[in-house]
Amino acid sequence: MDAFIEQALGLLGAAGWTLLLCLTSGVAGTAFGFVLGLMQISKNPALRWPAVVYVTVVRGIPVLLLIFFVYFGVPLLLGVNLEPFFTGFVSLALVGAAYTGEIFRGAIQAVPRGQSEAATALGLNAADTMFRVILPQALRIAVPAGTGFLINLVKDSSLIGIIGFVELTRAAKILSNLTLDPLGAFLMAAVIYFFISFAISRVGALLERRLTPQFGARKPRVDDPALTPTGH
Amino acid sequence: MNLYFGDILPYMGQLLTALGVSLGITVASFVIGGVLSIAVYAGKASSIKLLSLLCTGYIGLFRNTPLLVQIYLIYFGLPVFGINLDVFQASLIALSLNNASYCAEIVRGGFNSVPRGLVEAGEALGLDRWTVFTRVTLTPALRAVYPSLVNQFVHLFLTSSLASIIGLPELMHAILEINSQTYRSIEVLAIGALLYFASGFLISLIARVGERFLFRWAVNV
Repeated sequence: MDAFIEQALGLLGAAGWTLLLCLTSGVAGTAFGFVLGLMQISKNPALRWPAVVYVTVVRGIPVLLLIFFVYFGVPLLLGVNLEPFFTGFVSLALVGAAYTGEIFRGAIQAVPRGQSEAATALGLNAADTMFRVILPQALRIAVPAGTGFLINLVKDSSLIGIIGFVELTRAAKILSNLTLDPLGAFLMAAVIYFFISFAISRVGALLERRLTPQFGARKPRVDDPALTPTGH
Repeated sequence: MNLYFGDILPYMGQLLTALGVSLGITVASFVIGGVLSIAVYAGKASSIKLLSLLCTGYIGLFRNTPLLVQIYLIYFGLPVFGINLDVFQASLIALSLNNASYCAEIVRGGFNSVPRGLVEAGEALGLDRWTVFTRVTLTPALRAVYPSLVNQFVHLFLTSSLASIIGLPELMHAILEINSQTYRSIEVLAIGALLYFASGFLISLIARVGERFLFRWAVNV
């Protein structure tokens, strides 16, 4: 029993690395994805096409292949050797950007056209229209897909173990070699992954509820200067 | 650095053979998983509590854990019970089970989209239960979720690359092997990426043409 607790604690420690990897690459990927999402709906072809090509290509190749690209390619192209963690961070952020880019594009386009027309009619500038009218509504639409993205990110992070970073899956592999009990080791890892995913989907459901106006989202203040018509 | 693709040319045959293996295992696990997913959906929707719970648990477990862990569990874990699988069997089972859990959710959406009245009409016409299921429920349900199924197929094709980790000689495996023989990492990875991307693109294209043929009876295709 002591051995079991020790092993479980070891895997939980590795799960911490999985979470750190996902948190950092998730934040970086979402930031890059946000830019890609805006570029994809831009009217300027010089902005739109690179983003569309990037999103299509990254989504059209295996995540594992992209990881190897970063793993073998970055040292060759830039002449620097990356730490395994950093290789994982870069590749997961690149993948995440493609997926969130598509999510942001879809969510922004799902906001009814009348909303931006109304904002323009009220005299709001482009930035205020985007950040105060479109995005708050788009974010709510994006939450379910965003939850799915985060769960996929956690699952994809298992591939970082292949290039040598000891995250949860790699730790389970090492443990199974030590204890000669692959079934136990991988089942424990599976249970931890399951609870991480479960937690993410619960938080996602809560967030979606919070962002829905009739369930207590913060209503825009009427005296908000950006929402006051100008030019009269 | 300079790129040189010449070193890869002698290996093109190997890459294309490996692509064939990738496509083969994708088709096989998609068909097996697809049939299984209908059974899983039926189990989940069944009124037998235990069966419904088991199927719900299966879907939840396989959708919320990494495919790599599932492959490891089946390849390294099952021999504990005396079930020794070779690389091909383990990959096929892992990909099929994984695909079934995703397809079950897609299939659920499809069946939910078929109006109850359609089934009642079928029964009223005196069709037997099997015919009602295959012709009145299943076919329109598949048609409704056809695009999602195509996406899932392409997704399965891309994730089948994980089978390379336990040594299945498919495309990703061939890419890594050629990489270690030629040290032309970027070149071989680029060609591999192109093969994956082009195949996925072609599959979607063929599927879109196939849709017109498969569902040509439908009024508004």
